Amino acid sequence: MARDRGEQNREWYATYKDDVKKEGKGFFPYAMLHDTIMGFVVVLVIIGLAIIWYWDADGVEPGVLGPLYTEPADPGTTDFVPRPDWYFYFLFYLLRIFEWPETVVIATVGIPTVLLILLLGLPFYDRSRERRPSRRPVAMIAAVLTVISMGVLTYKGATATEALGSELIVLVPEWAEEKGFADNDNAVEGARLFAVSGCLNCHIYLGSGVGALGAPDLSDVGDRYDQETLVRYLTNPAEFGNTVMGSYAYLGQENLNKLATFLDASTSDDG
Amino acid sequence: MAKRKTRRQQIVDLAVLAPLDWIDERTGAVRGTKWFLFRNVPRDVSWAQTLGFATLIAFLTQTLTGAILAMYYKPDPNSAYESIEHITNDLTLGWLVRGMHRWGASVFVILLFLHMGRVFLFGAYKYPRELQWITGVLLLATGMLMGFTGYLLPWDQTAYWATVVGINLNGTAPFAGPWLAQFLSSGPEIGGDTLAKWYALHMLLLPGAIFALIGVHLYLVTRLGVVSPPWSKEQAGRERPVAEPTGARAGLVRRGTEGGAK
Amino acid sequence: MSNPRHDTPHSSGPSLWPIGFAIGVACLLLGLVLSWMIAVLGAVLAIAFGLLWARDVTRDVRGDVPEIAPETRVVADELAPGAVPQHKPLPAYPRSKFLEASLIGLTGAMGAVLTLPVLGFMVLPSFTNIDEDEVDLGPLDNFPEGEYVIATYLKDPAQGEVTRRTAFVRNNGQSEAGDPSFTILYSRCVHLGCPVQPNGPIDEERRIELKNAALLPVLAQSFGCPCHGGLYDAEGNRTAGPPVRSLDRYTFSIRNGRLILGELFAVGSVSGTGANARISRYPWSTPGVHVDGVEAWLYPIVPSQVTG
Repeated sequence: MARDRGEQNREWYATYKDDVKKEGKGFFPYAMLHDTIMGFVVVLVIIGLAIIWYWDADGVEPGVLGPLYTEPADPGTTDFVPRPDWYFYFLFYLLRIFEWPETVVIATVGIPTVLLILLLGLPFYDRSRERRPSRRPVAMIAAVLTVISMGVLTYKGATATEALGSELIVLVPEWAEEKGFADNDNAVEGARLFAVSGCLNCHIYLGSGVGALGAPDLSDVGDRYDQETLVRYLTNPAEFGNTVMGSYAYLGQENLNKLATFLDASTSDDG
Repeated sequence: MAKRKTRRQQIVDLAVLAPLDWIDERTGAVRGTKWFLFRNVPRDVSWAQTLGFATLIAFLTQTLTGAILAMYYKPDPNSAYESIEHITNDLTLGWLVRGMHRWGASVFVILLFLHMGRVFLFGAYKYPRELQWITGVLLLATGMLMGFTGYLLPWDQTAYWATVVGINLNGTAPFAGPWLAQFLSSGPEIGGDTLAKWYALHMLLLPGAIFALIGVHLYLVTRLGVVSPPWSKEQAGRERPVAEPTGARAGLVRRGTEGGAK
Repeated sequence: MSNPRHDTPHSSGPSLWPIGFAIGVACLLLGLVLSWMIAVLGAVLAIAFGLLWARDVTRDVRGDVPEIAPETRVVADELAPGAVPQHKPLPAYPRSKFLEASLIGLTGAMGAVLTLPVLGFMVLPSFTNIDEDEVDLGPLDNFPEGEYVIATYLKDPAQGEVTRRTAFVRNNGQSEAGDPSFTILYSRCVHLGCPVQPNGPIDEERRIELKNAALLPVLAQSFGCPCHGGLYDAEGNRTAGPPVRSLDRYTFSIRNGRLILGELFAVGSVSGTGANARISRYPWSTPGVHVDGVEAWLYPIVPSQVTG
């Protein structure tokens, strides 16, 4: 006669209780000593982190463990790039993956809710008595996949960059160095314009940028066009058969000249 | 038996045992402590099973440092940032206590996840420890909420904008989302009352919930006991080989289907 | 095998009144936010159903026997011929049972009296105590035609920096009807509220300082969000990324030749440009909330629809 699961469970647990009573060791002091050692290590790690953090950082200047605090909150900022604390990076990157308006609610509420429910319900859908990892392949594979995907999402979230002016403008000296136009003020000025005007929302320049809508890499654009043609191109891309890119005439003639000077200086022979 | 106690024993009796007896007679506290401390655990428990206690220590660090930080912190949008600067730069040892609280939070969250991973690996959430697992998951959720509510308090750029995004995440929940978001930010957007509300959540409501959950969690650990590592040869509750009957000639006695004497 | 002697009266089925009571309470709470008429309706419902419920559960205590006939049948061979079947006396309801009911009732009442006002105070001010101030952005000459200006201002100067907000203001010149036209985009991304950046060079030299506001011209015809990759065109329409609608806009008015910002509203989409733009306008809601299309069904009623 098959015994029902509850009866079996109670029997196994009774054996466990019996074994612990007969063969076990005292929680105090044996197991508790290990606990206390571990707790002490934790406290030391926390204090150590606090000291390193304070030692290496100075106010808003970050050290190895980041700044002591960032600038005061400015609810009206137009140049700040928000990032969450590290343990929300996975969620942050998840939000970037779901880049279609119809799917926003899946990333914000759907996936976290499903994960929480799966986690809460674990003992109720995994009801076998088996505890050995080698005999629980489904559970182990699920766990490994979860850890890997969390790790990847966290890494991607930590290294995610934007193609926006506030992040790109600091790259301008690097570009000037690489392309050898550092002593050409107009070109440097043009590079700044290039960085803040949203060009890299579609184009790519020296590895920065999005590469969307079929926009070409502009790192060597100077090989293909001269300065005058570039001004004309920027003023009216349609003249060159480009109907995707809009006109940049609104930047004004002076700015267009600078921008074209920069693009013209961006050649493959590095200056 | 009638041997007279030494003087030393008399002193111990008077100074330690008598007061303890007095307390125990009126509260049962000593018996309770003994119940918690003087219990057996499987002899093969592993170092991985100290993670729960480590998490508790991290939480207690947070409680202690948090309570002290509250003595200097000002939960007002116009002075919060300055009070954080003041704690970090001017007040003696303020940087250390704030640093411990800041990094203790990260350590606490890491340990929560490691502890959960260990329980999963050991299959320790199975019968009869289902409710222990559930209180644990709730502790993980409230722990993450502590991190989220505490992140706003320095009132710097990262804090402010992370919170804006966090509130709006809740705002996208179907039906009730926009209402929840407006409740969390005390108005359509973060305003003058938001910081104090989050401070109260972070300081009073959530820690209260965590303390209650930890109480239940620890009671269950003590009541149900901890498991052996599942790969251990001598784990508690292991299946025994079926006992061969003795005192009879082999071949004459058939094995019982249930195995052994029942 | 059932023994006919053990047949007892059925107890009455579960009462449905609590459901009506719950609906009443929900109406009452909703009404506190929506309108007083719904609140009164909710209160009447709650009281009526509450009384019915109380009447139902206290029926035993009040000695009001349910009108259900006992299923006891007379077993023929037990009755002596001519004997009259005896009626049992109605069961007496003990004092302890009455006290138990009072205890539960009192606890409930105490809990309600204690928690309802407190919970109300916790939740309601977020919805009822909202005052939107108007913002003065100075004379119209500050806004050159066809150019965006980053306007940063204090929404409520009394509260300070916490109410600082930013909008991108463009003077569209005259509309077809001859009225002045402005496009005023709110700087918060409609994905999850991050601070949107204009894509273009900012002209620091032409910065204008006003009382509680600053204006900063920028040569930009598109906007980008620094969090999750949302992009917008010059009218605030989404061109890439996850934003669920077009950038929010402000209404405006012109008083004594000065531009005054009014209230914020959500925009489904914009067709046309500048003064001739056709805007599908909706009540403002938190970022990430769809205002049109099928997804809007997920958000049938948002706070700004009831608090104005």
